[in-house]
Amino acid sequence: MPSLTISQLKGKASFQDLGRNTAQHLGFSGSGAADEYSYLLANQLIGNKLIENQFSAAALEITFGQLSLIANEACQLVITGADCQPYIEFKNGKELVVKNNKVFTLSQGDTLNLAMPRKQLHSYIAISGGFSATHWLNSASQTKNEYTLEFGEAELTKGTKLHFSADSSSYMPVDEHITKNKTSHNFHQSEQLVLRFLPSPLWLTLTPHTQQLFLNQRYQISPKSNRMGYRLLGKPLIVKNVSQTLSKPINYGTIQLPNDGQPIVLMKERQTIGGYPTLGTVIQTDLFRLSQKRPCEKIRFISASLEHAQAQLFAFRERFRD
Amino acid sequence: MSSIDIYPTSENSVLITWPEKICPVQHQQILKTLEKINTDLNHLIFEGVASYNSIMIYYYFNKVTFHQLKHYINDCIVQVNTDDLLSHRDSLVTEIPVYYGDEAGWDLLAVARQCHLSPDEVIKLHSQQTYRSYALGFTPGFCYLGTLSKELILPRKPTPRLKVPKGAVAIAEQQTAVYPNISPGGWHIIGQTPLALYQKDNDNFIPLIQVGQQIKFTEIDKKTYIELAGKAPLIEGNI
Repeated sequence: MPSLTISQLKGKASFQDLGRNTAQHLGFSGSGAADEYSYLLANQLIGNKLIENQFSAAALEITFGQLSLIANEACQLVITGADCQPYIEFKNGKELVVKNNKVFTLSQGDTLNLAMPRKQLHSYIAISGGFSATHWLNSASQTKNEYTLEFGEAELTKGTKLHFSADSSSYMPVDEHITKNKTSHNFHQSEQLVLRFLPSPLWLTLTPHTQQLFLNQRYQISPKSNRMGYRLLGKPLIVKNVSQTLSKPINYGTIQLPNDGQPIVLMKERQTIGGYPTLGTVIQTDLFRLSQKRPCEKIRFISASLEHAQAQLFAFRERFRD
Repeated sequence: MSSIDIYPTSENSVLITWPEKICPVQHQQILKTLEKINTDLNHLIFEGVASYNSIMIYYYFNKVTFHQLKHYINDCIVQVNTDDLLSHRDSLVTEIPVYYGDEAGWDLLAVARQCHLSPDEVIKLHSQQTYRSYALGFTPGFCYLGTLSKELILPRKPTPRLKVPKGAVAIAEQQTAVYPNISPGGWHIIGQTPLALYQKDNDNFIPLIQVGQQIKFTEIDKKTYIELAGKAPLIEGNI
């Protein structure tokens, strides 16, 4: 099977798709692409089918860039998300800068180099037909805490071969008009992110003073944030007399409040069950935006209705409908 | 009915909560309700996760509104037959052999000290009763078993270990569990089991313990542990 070899990896890389959402009852993390916008855009630009909820094409998610790939066979790729100033190093030593959101070709022996991005965190490389990563319980998504279980693909490291199907060369160029239309939105705004959230029953019992403390402050993203959860730093929020203490299933976007009063927003590699009090759930389209924010950047919260959240997600998915 | 709440937790999920208690009869009602929802509403939902007193249902929000779904879920709750709650699944007891020796039970002595018991009393209290499996989570195959004897209730360790061994039998608060694989862990390790907590069969993941199942721990000696595991238990620092 044709492949690319990882010749350098200083950040983190994994195969991701839309996640393993039907195995949470067995304890598997939902996992999946941190930034669904960039993941879906990459697959759309390369012409992969976008099937909802299952068997979406696996892409390579790279966190903090610093990756090099050597093409063992010719292939066509596209890069989206964080801009890692990518360039191709040809066999003859010449170099060519490639741009995000533009499909390009690697010939056998060419190397693709990604530097550390100056903004954002995650970049996505999609290949025509998707990478041939092992599907496990309806998904190829890899989860850090599940590597020791030895299901699916092993953790990607220097030397790993990334296989793809032989028909990757049969890429059909997507109409330039469509491409322009799809990439011209400013999905990831550069200004401070306001996270819309659906309030939990606990939130509704808080005093106006406590609610205002949460809504009025600007939280800083902690360096301890990762694909599992975003830890936030601010004035501690103390919630007393929580009546619900038994561990319950938790969501992508659940806002947990541990005893230290510093909220945690659960991300794609969350556990399935948690015991901390929950203030609500950040809406999914804002979670895709949050996933690209770095430690020390600031965010704040605003409450939203279920209808608004559903309308946002529906519109988001429509954008990527085939 | 008034004691059961249904509310939205995201664009495509609802949480159903029962009164805040660990109770086998209520939990059985929860599992029966989940079974009924999974069957009757199969075309509208794609996942259901149960815990001690709650169920999370994930649904296709383009096929059904929250209010319609809430109505359908209420119908399922009403129709669950509460007369026949402790079904035959509860009568099956799965035995888990445990070697509680010093080198396997990394925290056994500390637990005994904190509970003002001897290590043998800790072992006796842990292995004499039958537990119910209330939830699967944390990592694949990890089962929350309750309810631990009052004498053994301790808070979690202040600092979780980065690595606990596969098969570690541990306690924390009102619960006990077995770590199915090497993972981080903040519970007190009192022994190790040679038993595999899950099997992999083609594309299926089969956990040894299902939610709702009954579990009993049986003490074994080091020789038996080594025979069953094919190796000695992992001592702390060797992982």
